[in-house]
Amino acid sequence: MTATTQRPTPPRGARERRSALAVVLVVAMVWSLSGLEVTLDRLLGAPGDAWAILRQMVPPAFARVYERGAVGKVFESVYIAWIGTVIGAVLSLPLAFMAAHNVAPVWIRVPIRQFFNAIRAVPELILAVILIPITGLGPWAGTLAIGIHSIGTLGKWATESIESIDSGPIEAVESTGGRWVSSMRWAVFPQVMSTISSYWLFRFEINVRASAVLGMIGAGGVGSELVSHLVFRDFPAASAVLVFTIAVVLTIDTASAAVRRRIIRGGVGRPDEPSRSGEALADLTGIRL
Amino acid sequence: MTHAAGGSVRPDRPPRRPRTLGIAAAVIAFSLFAAREVGFDPSTFWEVWSNPLWEKFWPIPWDWVTDGSNVMGPLIETFQIATISTILGCSLALPVSFAMSSLTTPNRPTYLVSRAVMNVVRAVPDLFWAKLMVTAVGIGAFAGSWALTIFSLAVMVKLFSETVDGADPGPLEAARAAGGRHTPSVRTGMLPTVFPDYVAHALYVFELNIRASIVLGLVGAGGIGRVIEAQRQFFRFDRILGMLVIIFVVVFMIEQASVALRKRLV
Repeated sequence: MTATTQRPTPPRGARERRSALAVVLVVAMVWSLSGLEVTLDRLLGAPGDAWAILRQMVPPAFARVYERGAVGKVFESVYIAWIGTVIGAVLSLPLAFMAAHNVAPVWIRVPIRQFFNAIRAVPELILAVILIPITGLGPWAGTLAIGIHSIGTLGKWATESIESIDSGPIEAVESTGGRWVSSMRWAVFPQVMSTISSYWLFRFEINVRASAVLGMIGAGGVGSELVSHLVFRDFPAASAVLVFTIAVVLTIDTASAAVRRRIIRGGVGRPDEPSRSGEALADLTGIRL
Repeated sequence: MTHAAGGSVRPDRPPRRPRTLGIAAAVIAFSLFAAREVGFDPSTFWEVWSNPLWEKFWPIPWDWVTDGSNVMGPLIETFQIATISTILGCSLALPVSFAMSSLTTPNRPTYLVSRAVMNVVRAVPDLFWAKLMVTAVGIGAFAGSWALTIFSLAVMVKLFSETVDGADPGPLEAARAAGGRHTPSVRTGMLPTVFPDYVAHALYVFELNIRASIVLGLVGAGGIGRVIEAQRQFFRFDRILGMLVIIFVVVFMIEQASVALRKRLV
């Protein structure tokens, strides 16, 4: 064998696939741009417009916005997210037991799964649009919208974790003559509760963002503050509201992630584990050192 | 084990630790406080069914809903917003994700800055971006496309940089050992390994964007949400319900196609 300095040939079909992908992307871009009233003028002007607003946002008017009670509004968003999560958790837990294929009969589990899917398909904002005329404007409409939407995702995740349990304890309870309810309580519940409660916390993190958005259509929380400042083009106030929101969102994400790790791993640390404070810092800044 | 011989006595319950009780009490107290703050009203759950407004939801005016210009036109605009934002956001995400992974980052400052910036970008909810863009460039689909582009970028870099973190570093090391400069080494030593995941993540982001683009119009950023908002102000909930049916049939079909494609890729 002579020493080759020749390049290996690329695998066959790779180039064809690449050009097919490129064609698909170009066609998709042309098609979507055709409908969006994009002119070269607007396209070139957009960065300038965004920059003009960004410049007016500095420095943020923290004191003025604080006196107007914006921080209270951020906390209202947190309360909405919390109660929404509680409603979702309480209602989804029993349903999840009826939807898991290893513990529920087919005639009940299929409709409940479809119920979860149907709920997940409706965004919170659409739910709030429907609920606001019925409950009136305010945080309760947003709470209900988040609560209902959370049933779908929390139910699906809980069902999946029930389906992945060890079946031994169920057999043990059944062999002692226990009924369905006792086997759920003593065999399934202890196995899944740590996972499910960490899902609840994860959903709470998502719901904090969702409830901030719900305020934009009048369903309570910080969204309405942002909208009113932006409508009046009061950019220092708007950026102060944004900063308050980002601070609370990042703090809650960090705290919740720390609690979730504690729930999943337990209290006893292993020596090879990264330190908890280091991980919390990584969550807060996004930087893993 | 004093009762071992008889064996019919229950074992002792594990003791409840006071700290567990304390945490439970704190959680319940916070929930009660928060419930009062949001105006928790359990009577809604049974009174809601007798609300006279429900009559406004029925019957669905199918001839209005199926009239092309009312629903299908704005719905197509919605999908155009989702498509262009996915393409732009995911294209931008490719270099940013490589900068955000310690394996492929060109240098330490790029790594730190890109991570910190994207972490803050991700903390801003998607419709906040939409409202900001509407204020900056004016009402309409153009603003919505910008907002969803930022949102796609934020989600994509999170997913994809984690994929790169977990990828096999071998080929990259080989490329560097052979004297490759940074960009060609990443392109030939890392990109081929993670590209199928990249496409799968991009399809997932597309699904998210389809869902997000439906509600963009509620804050003036174009698409079908604009029609929902208009009909909401006229209390035409029958039309909204009809629109929702159409939206969910179409969204469901797109998602199934995307999920099927993703399964083939990974």
